[in-house]
Amino acid sequence: MTTSFMDVDVRPTLRAGGEPFGEIMAAIAKLQPGQGLRLLATFEPVPLFHVLGSKGFSHKAKEIGGGDWEVLFSPAAAATPADATPAKPASDTSAWPSPVQEMDNRDLDPPEPMVRILAATEAMANGEVLSALLCREPMFLLPELAKRGHAWRGAFEPDGKTYKILIRVGAAKEAA
Amino acid sequence: MVGVALSRWTMSYFATAVLALIAAEGLMLAGIGYPHAAMAAPASLLLVHLVAIGWLSLLMCGALFQFVPVLVNRPLHSNTLPLPTLILLIAGLAALLLGFAQMGGTIQTPFGFFPAAAILLGSGFVLVLWNLGRTLWAARPLPLPARFVVVGLCSLAATVFLGIIFALVLGGVATKPHLLDVTALGLPIHVIAGLGGWLTFTAFGVSYRLLAMFMLAPELEGRTTRGALYVGSTALAVAIVGGMAAICTSTNVIWPIGAGGILGLLALALYGGDIQHLYRARKRRVIELNSRMAGVALANLAATILLGIALLLAGRFNGHVGVIVFLVAFAWLSGFGLAKLYKIVAFLTWLECYGPVLGKTATPRVQDLVTEPRAQKWFALYFVAVWIAALALLFAMPLLLFQVGVGAMGLATIGIGIQLMRTRRLANVAPALRLPKGTQPPHLLHSSVQPS
Repeated sequence: MTTSFMDVDVRPTLRAGGEPFGEIMAAIAKLQPGQGLRLLATFEPVPLFHVLGSKGFSHKAKEIGGGDWEVLFSPAAAATPADATPAKPASDTSAWPSPVQEMDNRDLDPPEPMVRILAATEAMANGEVLSALLCREPMFLLPELAKRGHAWRGAFEPDGKTYKILIRVGAAKEAA
Repeated sequence: MVGVALSRWTMSYFATAVLALIAAEGLMLAGIGYPHAAMAAPASLLLVHLVAIGWLSLLMCGALFQFVPVLVNRPLHSNTLPLPTLILLIAGLAALLLGFAQMGGTIQTPFGFFPAAAILLGSGFVLVLWNLGRTLWAARPLPLPARFVVVGLCSLAATVFLGIIFALVLGGVATKPHLLDVTALGLPIHVIAGLGGWLTFTAFGVSYRLLAMFMLAPELEGRTTRGALYVGSTALAVAIVGGMAAICTSTNVIWPIGAGGILGLLALALYGGDIQHLYRARKRRVIELNSRMAGVALANLAATILLGIALLLAGRFNGHVGVIVFLVAFAWLSGFGLAKLYKIVAFLTWLECYGPVLGKTATPRVQDLVTEPRAQKWFALYFVAVWIAALALLFAMPLLLFQVGVGAMGLATIGIGIQLMRTRRLANVAPALRLPKGTQPPHLLHSSVQPS
């Protein structure tokens, strides 16, 4: 069965500094049964993967050049709501810049991932984003990020084993 | 998703628990209670409750106040309630021990220690159940390890419920014939719910997550893990609820307990397979002392079960219930508890002290807070001592050999306790690294929960 996709290009909205979350959700609401969504964005919209994952969509993301991303959200045939409590998306849904640093901490002994992440954020400038892969939700890291005024967005990847967290340095301080 | 803060009073639970274990080993060394007295003698009951409540339950409660939030990714319902809870539990335990001393004629006073124990321990455990129950309830749907904890907490409720009935009957407050029946026949159910349901089943749940975490093994959520949960829960329900029903209908309790036992063996086999898989599938080849010693405790559990089956088949189980209870309490639960304690204390102390300055200045690693070779000797002594004491019981060797064993267990526990204290005091950390700017030495008995 081939899935038909509705196109939603949020790049103009993002470039204009706008917030595309509502636009995407409105499009999702308009989809026919079995129809998917083809999203074009200026960054890899990781938080959205989990939000739409919990609505039964699987996704395929690829970079299409110029830093832009194309993501195909397909309705899963036997979509079941995720068993785990879905992580809440960050209340601030605006676009974040691409990460200036990416790290894969999946094979490190705890609490080494936390140590590396905090060391990296200390060396970054306000507003910059760090992306890190982990093998579980970093429960003890989050209060420390909050204390230091950083904002974060995190969710499990569709494989259910890799947890991806994006941390924006100093962003919580600015919002406050 | 706000993450998890440090549990404020967990260290107080741990400290009280280790002291209770040392006290219990001291009593055994002094020849008080089993095997110098019968299993059901007041002195033996005093000893059993000092171990089951003072050591194992306080250890488990302290650990759960920290790790239930980690299991469900939610803050603890109340981070202040654990202190009054601990005070109630300690006071209740003291009253219970005095009640047994009164029953054995060691102390003579008309004060009703048993009813006091029923009220104090009952209130303390209700607060435990309330605090953890609210935390778990808010986090539904629960991940698998947390569901084991839920079943463990239900078993705790059953254990406490029966314990309160026993205490009220023994204290002369309750005189209804049904309650007298429950007291006369309900002891095996109380023991199964306490050691099997509350302590062992909860330890299973926690072990799934902690072992995976510390050995970099995949989290298990497959058919065997769900099987262990469902079959194990059914086994406990059959033994506890069925057993109670049997008492109330004057049926022989051996039937529900036997049926629960068979199901329990199946659940243990599923759990054993899972844990073997965790150790084999781990990404971390060289594992830390805590995981190695937990492995010894798990092997002890397997050996204890095989011994129990062999004794049953040989028709000699009834004469050796004491050995089995001794092995479950000390070779499995205490061994596993001490092993995990060794890691948890180091990890929580490290997080409390160095978390706030990570990345800002040079900080020690968690492993810098411990000296594994030194602790390993105490753990080795502990396990060998447990085996010697158990063999002395099993083959009815001179009691002196048993006392040598428990004496060595006590010594080893003190050794491990000192290591835990050194960890908490940061005494193993090189002085130059110990307290970088912006850090404070952690308090021995409580954790400072920094405002975020």
